[in-house]
Amino acid sequence: MESLSTDPQDPRTALAGADEARRRLTTSLRLPAGFLVVFAAAVAVQLGTAAYGIAAQTVAGLAVVLAGLAVFLGVAALLLHRFSRVNGVRVDGLASQIVLAAGASASLVYLGALAAGIWAAFESQWWLVAAASVVGGVGCALGARHWWREYRHDPAANSRGVSPRQLAVLAVVACVGFAALLVLG
Amino acid sequence: MVGLDPLIHPPTRLQLVTTLSAVSEAEFTTLRTALQVSDSVLSKHVSALVDAGYLRSRKSVHAGRRTTWVGLTDVGRQALRDHVAAVRQLIDMVD
Repeated sequence: MESLSTDPQDPRTALAGADEARRRLTTSLRLPAGFLVVFAAAVAVQLGTAAYGIAAQTVAGLAVVLAGLAVFLGVAALLLHRFSRVNGVRVDGLASQIVLAAGASASLVYLGALAAGIWAAFESQWWLVAAASVVGGVGCALGARHWWREYRHDPAANSRGVSPRQLAVLAVVACVGFAALLVLG
Repeated sequence: MVGLDPLIHPPTRLQLVTTLSAVSEAEFTTLRTALQVSDSVLSKHVSALVDAGYLRSRKSVHAGRRTTWVGLTDVGRQALRDHVAAVRQLIDMVD
């Protein structure tokens, strides 16, 4: 083990070397090809099915909501798995962005698109349901892209998020909740 | 002033924990590439920091081969923050 040094040049060099090693890692990280497009599509599917299912107010409608949620969670898990396989790292901050649309603007876009989609579905304005879903999907993808740029700029401050275990618990709770609605409905 | 942490003061260890502060977990081979050190050197430092509670590691299998994933614990993250603050303070004092 190297000895402790009080030479001011050594600590400065050590900090610079540590920052350089971190920079080497983070600049090598890449979002896999098509990552944001697939993510946007998955959010759009989830929003569209949720709007349709909620407006239908039937057991079949709730089944559609649940199916859309399952598709979204499956795609999100696949995207995160591809990211960690391609880069050899796991970043919980990215998982939070993808699964929970954790950014403030992404959350607002998502909720706005969901509200607009549900309203449009109740009015049977299906083109508007599709438009709101696409806008929501693109908005969430742009939110994830914005987070990615922030992360590349300051990785230590943006790397943390909800762990896969906590996300799995949230996913199970969401599915059980919808399943309970399905059974009770 | 919080003192220098002898466990992460050596340059390679400081590089290791600083690099891990950017991710939740990294594969051993990814870390080796980022730090530009040999398997044995990295393995030695990881083991020492796991024993100290600064890092956690787990084994995994990918495409039929065993891989090791390494992550920074909350204790390690705090130790890094304190150590970097102490080093910067030392530099400021000398300057």
